[in-house]
Amino acid sequence: MKFFLHFVLFGIILLSFTNCSTHKPLYYYGDYSEEYYTAKRELTPEAKLQLQHSIEEAINNPNNSISQRVAPGMYANLGYIYLKNANNAKAIEYFEKEKQLYPESAYFMQRMINKVKALEEKENE
Amino acid sequence: MSRYHSCFITSITLLTIFLTGCSSSQPQPTKGSAYPQMYQEKPRSILILPPINESTDTEAKDYYMTTTEVPFALMGYYVFPTEMVADILNQEGIYDASILQNMPATKFYEYFGADAVLFTTIHKWDVSYTVVASTLHVAISAKLVSTKTNKVLWEHSKSVTVDLGSANTNSLEGLLISVVLTAINTASADYVEYAKVVNDKLIYTLPAGPYSPMYLKDEDMPLRQY
Repeated sequence: MKFFLHFVLFGIILLSFTNCSTHKPLYYYGDYSEEYYTAKRELTPEAKLQLQHSIEEAINNPNNSISQRVAPGMYANLGYIYLKNANNAKAIEYFEKEKQLYPESAYFMQRMINKVKALEEKENE
Repeated sequence: MSRYHSCFITSITLLTIFLTGCSSSQPQPTKGSAYPQMYQEKPRSILILPPINESTDTEAKDYYMTTTEVPFALMGYYVFPTEMVADILNQEGIYDASILQNMPATKFYEYFGADAVLFTTIHKWDVSYTVVASTLHVAISAKLVSTKTNKVLWEHSKSVTVDLGSANTNSLEGLLISVVLTAINTASADYVEYAKVVNDKLIYTLPAGPYSPMYLKDEDMPLRQY
């Protein structure tokens, strides 16, 4: 009995050391960092598309992280790519998502949404 | 039962002594003692500004910019999308390092709603060649400033120096080939890899942000130099 308890105690101590080393990252980014760099270096439409795909892949796999959340700025990054491609509706959709997930971004995102809407109204006049 | 209980307490005590025994009796600087403002202001969001480039490589600015967003977010802060922020600042006519540095940090709260701004400066981004060897240098300093008080909340600088190997000096031909190979090997990709190493070293001293499990729990963490 005593041996058994010692064994359990040793196990607990051992576990407390090892569970720290098998951690997942706070957020899942996939290849975002590498593709961002490639897009900056090559400036080609292909590299930009690859960057967009890496952002989408990261957004679709938040379960590969301890937070289980999409990383800060990722929805905004995707929204901004849509904005540059003149897809205003999609841009607003992703800016809204960023705003909802991270209240810290709300002020800035709302500012962007208002800007896009104001531009659209001007164009429709 | 109480015997096992006391056995448990003894084990825990021994474990604690074992874990704390490594530190010297001299009080070491901790995250809390080095950066008390961080724990008072508790910034939640960081606006990373385009880097200030003091290196000899004009491309360093664009390339280094791609390395900062991820590590600061992984420390638990809300990090504003860097590409978007850089483009907006550009459109507003704020692209020059001197303009950025002289702007009051409170302006960034008005425009972005950020709690703190991060200034990064690239001091070195080069390879120095000698006849028999070549060495890569990346040196970065970072400074986090409050947008409420204009006070510096955290600052640190780090560098890496990488020996890219010595040339084969058996013949002149060998030397030339070796120099050419080194030049190819030190294409900009390597700089970015080493910049990430510098970032990891820098960020190690930064108190954790609100999305980190370590938030407000790392005040007593010693600032190890490495």
